[in-house]
Amino acid sequence: MSLFQAAFGFGLVSMSVIALGAVGFTMQFGITNMINLAYGEVMISSAYVAYYINRAGVSIWIGMIAGAIFGAVFSFLLNRIVYSPFQRKGTSLLGMVIVSLAVSLMIANLLLPLVTYNSVSYQETSGSLIRMAGVILTTNQILIILLAVVVMLAIHGLLRYTRLGKAMRATAANPILARNCGIATQRVVDVVWLITGALCGLAGVVAALNSDSFAVANGAGFLITALAAAVLGGAGQPYGAMIGAVIIGLVTELSAAAWSPEYKEVVAFGILVLVMVLRPQGLLAKRGALAAAG
Amino acid sequence: MSTFQARKSFVRAGLSTVAILVLAACGGGSNSTGGGLGSGDLLVGVIAPFTGADAGLGPAYYSACLAAAPSINANGGVGGRKVKCQQFDTRGEPADAFPAANAMIASHSSNLMAVVGCTSDEAATVAPVIDRAHIPMFCMTGQSEFNKTSLKYFHRLVPADIFDAYAMVGSALYGPDHTPYKRAALVFGNDIGSQAFVQPATNAFTKLGGTIAINQPITLGASSYRTEVAAMLATHPDVIFTEALGSAGTYLGEVKTLNGGKMIPFIGTSATIDPTWFQQVKSAIGVNDLVANYRGVDLGYSFSGPAYTEFLTNLNAASSQFADAPKYKQRGSTLHLYDGIIMTALAMVATNSSDPKVYNSKIKEIANGVSGATVVNTYKDGVAALKAGKSIRFVGAGGENNFDQYNNSVSGYILVKYDAQGNEVRVAQLTPDQTKAISDAGGI
Repeated sequence: MSLFQAAFGFGLVSMSVIALGAVGFTMQFGITNMINLAYGEVMISSAYVAYYINRAGVSIWIGMIAGAIFGAVFSFLLNRIVYSPFQRKGTSLLGMVIVSLAVSLMIANLLLPLVTYNSVSYQETSGSLIRMAGVILTTNQILIILLAVVVMLAIHGLLRYTRLGKAMRATAANPILARNCGIATQRVVDVVWLITGALCGLAGVVAALNSDSFAVANGAGFLITALAAAVLGGAGQPYGAMIGAVIIGLVTELSAAAWSPEYKEVVAFGILVLVMVLRPQGLLAKRGALAAAG
Repeated sequence: MSTFQARKSFVRAGLSTVAILVLAACGGGSNSTGGGLGSGDLLVGVIAPFTGADAGLGPAYYSACLAAAPSINANGGVGGRKVKCQQFDTRGEPADAFPAANAMIASHSSNLMAVVGCTSDEAATVAPVIDRAHIPMFCMTGQSEFNKTSLKYFHRLVPADIFDAYAMVGSALYGPDHTPYKRAALVFGNDIGSQAFVQPATNAFTKLGGTIAINQPITLGASSYRTEVAAMLATHPDVIFTEALGSAGTYLGEVKTLNGGKMIPFIGTSATIDPTWFQQVKSAIGVNDLVANYRGVDLGYSFSGPAYTEFLTNLNAASSQFADAPKYKQRGSTLHLYDGIIMTALAMVATNSSDPKVYNSKIKEIANGVSGATVVNTYKDGVAALKAGKSIRFVGAGGENNFDQYNNSVSGYILVKYDAQGNEVRVAQLTPDQTKAISDAGGI
């Protein structure tokens, strides 16, 4: 077995997990103009919802659906109860970032006494090992990759071929013009929070399942990776986030195989910095959020 | 803003900062009147990570304080003063630890009798701050920079990490229930504290005939280590030396998965004798594999005797304040910090002073004992002996202490494992000859 082939396989898993989180994060920003730093905490909260359902004897794949629903409802309520009132008052983008940071800390600290600091694991076997062309993956990991592909295709279909998708893109491009054209932008924003919240919840459960064991503290790590992929691809660009996830996922694993693993994040984030220097708007960003790739 | 206004604001901010620093410095040194035990509640500051990746550490230390306080308070307090415990969260980050330490000192300068905790995450940052404030501290760090520290108020009740590393090598080579391991994988976090194990373990293991199959510094807190695990497995080690606090479950779970469901034996540092670590690894690889494949090293605790009995009683009672407290009944650091707080209280009584500059040096005397000292195991007995005019040596829940000139206390190691409930089970003890062979080979 070549370590690089194995690392490539692991990179496919990592990029799938990152993509699920990053696409939701970047859509949230692109359409609602909200850099939601509480995203990682919603992810880990959803992971715990799935954990408690799984602990009651229910399959984690059912728990994953519950996690996605929880993420959707939680994110929707966060926006309606916390973020929207601030935005209506005209709070600046930076101010909203601070608000979301405060929300993030509040969720983390409220979660800690509820779930304790102990690491937990889903009661789910990782499945049998499948070896193919030097790549070694468990059946669960293959399912995660397939799930990510299906979700990415669904997002693509939603944005390109549905009325809702067009309304989302119009709202992202110019919300006032979109409203004047008869698009119910507030309803679009609500739906976006539900969809991206569901992605967030799904990503949280998948990340926890992928990680063998997880704890409250992992929320911050989830956010950093999703944020990095989103920024790398171009803030607000779902397709950019997908590409960002591919790069970060593969580079971290392949660099761990090539050099000492202690440098894998250094390499991945070094590439992020390099791209930011050469192309500050990110890989795909052109004009405005959710604009055509370019 | 004009240049003049900007300059004025800058000067004002600078003066404010200087004023705060001066006040903080003054606050740190004004702990008492210099004689008598004073009045009002005393405080033990527990400065440690309570959130973040190492959030499992702080509760172990807080539990120690919750157990020690009633031992003191139920027996007259410190000259009538009750002892209370307060958490100061460092989040395991020096950047958060520094303001936490300053806030602790600034807001409790008049009644802070001791500080416990200060793990390797933050000890290098907070220990000098606490030392400047003249507050005795008991730090749970194995970092070698404290082996010959000049900080007068620093105390360490556990050996430096190099001794943990030697004990792990001893377990690999001389453990009773396996043939000597020949190829070891070193899997430690890439932080300074964790890396302190690597060089002494490498020196000792290789000079005694072993081979380091791979030295793998890992980024703690990562969501997966599959590539690292695949690289490690490719070197075919027959044992893993590890600590990997917070990430051991993920790493070892992936070892089992990628190794076709079969675990490789792994030896942990004394910090892995911890209910949080046990729970994390158990949930990742299953209790049977954990019990069968894990071996650890620890200081030789008896978990018996009057000091331990009182500790255990108080720890169980502390569940009304902190539900997890009883979990730490066999956590070495909990036992030691309990002893540290009791010794500090006894030192205050012995010197009849709440001035740390007066009672600090007495702590060492009470721990090591002087010729003819009466051995006491509880605060109550200690106070009685002091009132009878005797000098005392406190042997607490964690056993004897032997502070050297740098206030480092060193004691012997035992080889241990877990039972299915997470209790520590003694497997063997290294002989003096084995210990000497490893130390000589380690050469640090």
